[in-house]
Amino acid sequence: MAYNRTLISLLIFTSLAISQDIPGRKIPSVTMSPVPLKTVTRGKPTDIDLRFHISPGFHVNSNKPNSEFLIPTALKINAPTDIVIGKITYPPGQEASFPFAPDEKLSVYRTEFTLGVVVRPLVSVVPGKYMLHGELKYQACDNAACYPPKKMPVDFEVKVVKGPPPHRRNPAQSPHVHG
Amino acid sequence: MKRDPFIIIVAAMALTIMLVFGFHMARRSSRPIDKAGAQMKGQPAPEFTLQSLDGKTVHLADFRGKGVLLNFWATWCQPCKIEMPWFVELQKRYGPQGLQVVGVAMDDASPEDISKFAKDLGVNYPVLIGKEAVGDAYGGVPFMPETFYIGRDGKVVDKVVGLISRSDIEEDVKKALAEGQAVQAER
Repeated sequence: MAYNRTLISLLIFTSLAISQDIPGRKIPSVTMSPVPLKTVTRGKPTDIDLRFHISPGFHVNSNKPNSEFLIPTALKINAPTDIVIGKITYPPGQEASFPFAPDEKLSVYRTEFTLGVVVRPLVSVVPGKYMLHGELKYQACDNAACYPPKKMPVDFEVKVVKGPPPHRRNPAQSPHVHG
Repeated sequence: MKRDPFIIIVAAMALTIMLVFGFHMARRSSRPIDKAGAQMKGQPAPEFTLQSLDGKTVHLADFRGKGVLLNFWATWCQPCKIEMPWFVELQKRYGPQGLQVVGVAMDDASPEDISKFAKDLGVNYPVLIGKEAVGDAYGGVPFMPETFYIGRDGKVVDKVVGLISRSDIEEDVKKALAEGQAVQAER
């Protein structure tokens, strides 16, 4: 009886062991940290940081890779009407060489990188929350292979508020003449 | 709580099996070859018809009787750029013995850009414009470079994913040239 139980258990465990995924290549992933709701004032530019994480063992090209054929990391944001997306700031890449090209320096992002987005709602925007949508295009490699370019959705919310009332200067007054 | 000793023994045995299997596979994976590739070994290489950069229609069957190094690559793939000059040398060296290197460009770049890229690297073998369906037939080609070594009999000898050393590539070329040689001799 005990022998049968042992045999059955052994068979189950063996099949579990063999059915483990054959260690192969992992698929690279880039994820974005949740962006806390940012308050932006109508008519004023506000910087918003978007932080991206690259899975260990992979790198993506920076926004300015060292070869015309390499695909740069690029963010595109489609904002609602009357919310202007200003300059997108990319950090400089890390100059790194890899086993596949030890003599060549590539400009890459590894582990994580932060992109800065300038958001400026026009004064005509109705105050409230707005979701901004976009996508990040990147192309990842590990130390021996590269993965086709990918686009990941990038979404974050902003809260548009009215600016402080315009500072009014006192109208110029004619000097009082006290007689 | 009293534990059944045979469960502990079985668990220990299972753990040992998993560890041994894991180490075995980890050693195997140091030279990249994937599960799909392993399944394709010994099977006839999927036939395809593609356009070359110089506008010719090329069928895989055109190379029957030769050892074929079929390399899927892309202009955005840096490791591909490293091995392509090795393929140029291997084509020169083993071409007279029946090697045919064939590149399949799997990217969205224009034929002009692909052509420029290949020309800059001195490519001396046909470069074909890849199609998704061909990639799918070869296991999806999820990353690059991916190279299939096809024997003279049209069967897959090996599939390698990622950049490996020049000497490993050369070994596979020799295998592809040797494979199916007997079949050729009989014809």
